[in-house]
Amino acid sequence: MWVAFALGGVASVLVGLANGSMRRLVIGGGVGLAAAYFAFPLLAADGFVSRDTVSPTLFGLTPIHPALALVLVAALLGIAAAGLPRRIGGSLAALGALTTAGLVWSAQARTPQLVHLQPLPGLMEALTGVAVAGSLTLLGWGSRRLRIPLLVVGIAAGALTFGFLVSPAGHGLFPNADGYYRLALPVDRATQKDIVAEYNANLDTINAQRKRIGLHALPAIASTADLDTQRVPEAAAKRGYRVVRPAESHYGVWVAMLLAGVLLGSGAMLAWRPRLHETGDVAGGILYAAVVLSLAPAFASTEFSFGKLAEGWPFLMKFLDRAWPPLWADPSYGQFGIFPLQEVASQMLITLEIALVGTFLGAIFAVPLSFLAARNLTQGNPLMRLVFALTRGFFNLDRGVDTLILALIFVAAVGLGPFAGVLAMAIHSIADLGKLYSESIENVDRGPIEALEAVGASGSNVVRWSILPQVSPLFLGWTLYRFEINFRVSIVLGLVGAGGIGFFIQDKMSSGRYDQMIIAILAIVIVVNIIDFASSWLRSRLV
Amino acid sequence: MIEVSNLHKVFPDGTKALQDVSVSIPDGDFVAVIGLSGAGKSTFLRCLNRLVDPTGGTIAVGGRDVAALRGRALQRYRRTVGFIFQQFNLVTRLSVLDNVLSGRLGYHPTWRGMLALYSERDYELAQAAIREVGLAGRDDTRVDQLSGGQQQRVAIARAMTQEPELILADEPMASLDPRLSDVILGLLKHYNETRGVTVLVNIHVIELAKRYARRVIAFNQGRIVFDGPVTELDADLESTIYAGSLEAL
Repeated sequence: MWVAFALGGVASVLVGLANGSMRRLVIGGGVGLAAAYFAFPLLAADGFVSRDTVSPTLFGLTPIHPALALVLVAALLGIAAAGLPRRIGGSLAALGALTTAGLVWSAQARTPQLVHLQPLPGLMEALTGVAVAGSLTLLGWGSRRLRIPLLVVGIAAGALTFGFLVSPAGHGLFPNADGYYRLALPVDRATQKDIVAEYNANLDTINAQRKRIGLHALPAIASTADLDTQRVPEAAAKRGYRVVRPAESHYGVWVAMLLAGVLLGSGAMLAWRPRLHETGDVAGGILYAAVVLSLAPAFASTEFSFGKLAEGWPFLMKFLDRAWPPLWADPSYGQFGIFPLQEVASQMLITLEIALVGTFLGAIFAVPLSFLAARNLTQGNPLMRLVFALTRGFFNLDRGVDTLILALIFVAAVGLGPFAGVLAMAIHSIADLGKLYSESIENVDRGPIEALEAVGASGSNVVRWSILPQVSPLFLGWTLYRFEINFRVSIVLGLVGAGGIGFFIQDKMSSGRYDQMIIAILAIVIVVNIIDFASSWLRSRLV
Repeated sequence: MIEVSNLHKVFPDGTKALQDVSVSIPDGDFVAVIGLSGAGKSTFLRCLNRLVDPTGGTIAVGGRDVAALRGRALQRYRRTVGFIFQQFNLVTRLSVLDNVLSGRLGYHPTWRGMLALYSERDYELAQAAIREVGLAGRDDTRVDQLSGGQQQRVAIARAMTQEPELILADEPMASLDPRLSDVILGLLKHYNETRGVTVLVNIHVIELAKRYARRVIAFNQGRIVFDGPVTELDADLESTIYAGSLEAL
């Protein structure tokens, strides 16, 4: 926790020493802290079963620790630094940062506390609506012509989103949105006593169950402070009672401390050297805050952890230990012997062949379709425009579905083996190549087209004699490029059962024969490099 | 005989490129069209073979109303008009012969063109044209291997292979070395004199117009400001023709 604080402080001081704008960091820290105050989970609050657990934010915890409101004040001071004289703004931000750090530290150093959750209905729904409206408005803000229409559309779309989410239909589809945001309110002494009594009353039943599965019996408790290591009674949990456990902190603590560190470092630097500011600091600061605010929850939800990596390290070493030296062949194994290198060679060939056939089929279908998807060839009449829209629509739809997903479907349809992989690859390549081809067609030199129109050639002859000669080397280049990608894709295709080297890897991995698997990995590294090199050499000679 | 009357062209962005242009050009004439950039010379030429559709007026070539032609009929008209572009507009990845032969595409059904089934006569015409522009023996050279001047000669050969009744050349020397102007204009002049084909050339260098053309049509801001024999051009007229040149810059 203090590591994050120090990191933020040191980083911003270094940026300041490198002449970066400190006011920008102060604003960014302020905006980030304000958002973190309302949006990021700080601590865990447990109920009876694990799905009762909620993660209150700084805002949610403010009713039980009113001093936390000062964090919001500090955040607003950081934002206010945009307008205040820089020395004063910087000093206030630094002061606010110190307060924040102290408060966050104290909030997570307290003893467990019984709270009552108060849902704020409609808040999550309203925020989603505002997000929809805001992103549409931002989309149109750059263009003078679209600004007002998109603002109107954005507000309407936001209102519709909000209206749908708060309706019964919306709650049916997104049950979590209803009352998602909850405040932790303090519980009075009388209620505390009731819950202690409730806990003790249920103890017999619980202990009977625990005995059956061989766990020791739980003692009776005297006050809610004893709920420290115990659970809230089931009925009380249903009524909204939880125990806030400061020991279980969430990433909100890290983010708040990091941003407090940034505010302290940059605020102090700004007070010391007021010239460290630039125009456009507000936009820049908001951008910084947006990066931190989107990265922090992303790291948290991808469960990023150096600790786990360290725990897994011995396995990696063991893996390498067992993978080396590779088992190229062992004629004396079993009755017939095993020949992994031989197998890798034949499987690699299959992988290569899947890529060849898949790319070829894709290209064959993509060439004619790409002419229908080229804007410059299809503006003649409404029918052609419709064909253009349909072809482009098909390309976009198809491009959205990855080869691997198509392969899973085709494996189910035509069975395990290379054929499923070829089908998946061909279908995905049609769209990808078709789009690239049609963009090449759209970028041809207009001159020769005009010249052939001027000699009285018919439309198809104009395409044949002016567009085709210009685009054919480009088509070939794109096809080679797609082949490179398809080869790498076909390696992975084996993992879903569509044949080839991937299948070999999966098989050897699951049976623990790492010394055979390593051969496949070496082969892939070599072949991928050869193909990339050959393809880029070939493409450089086409022109 | 080309009869243009009350020709107007307003582009979709509102630019009035041609305003009330009326002119008549007898067969076999060699006409220089002069004027500043943006005066409407190019639009005028492009209207004559309908690369640009006029918004008003009539164009009669050999008695046909060209402004109303559409589809197949337009293609049949266009094959009789050779057009030479400032940027040559060749397919540079194809050979000289392929480019020159494409001048015959208008004379064959589409499927023959698609399969490159040209007739013996097409080959004779194309090779004769290549010889005439001085590129004999370069038939199989890819066009991107040629110099700019040679490329423009290929474009002229393509126009000649069309066996045109009219040749329109839109600033054919503008992207070339000035010394090549005489080669290009010489070829067109020779063709005009030996075959009696009408030639209209856009030129912005007035000296060249004086040297090659019999007649001059001058445009300024979309209107004809002079139309007459080249001998009538004098300093006063020239300043009228090039009036507003600094504003145009």
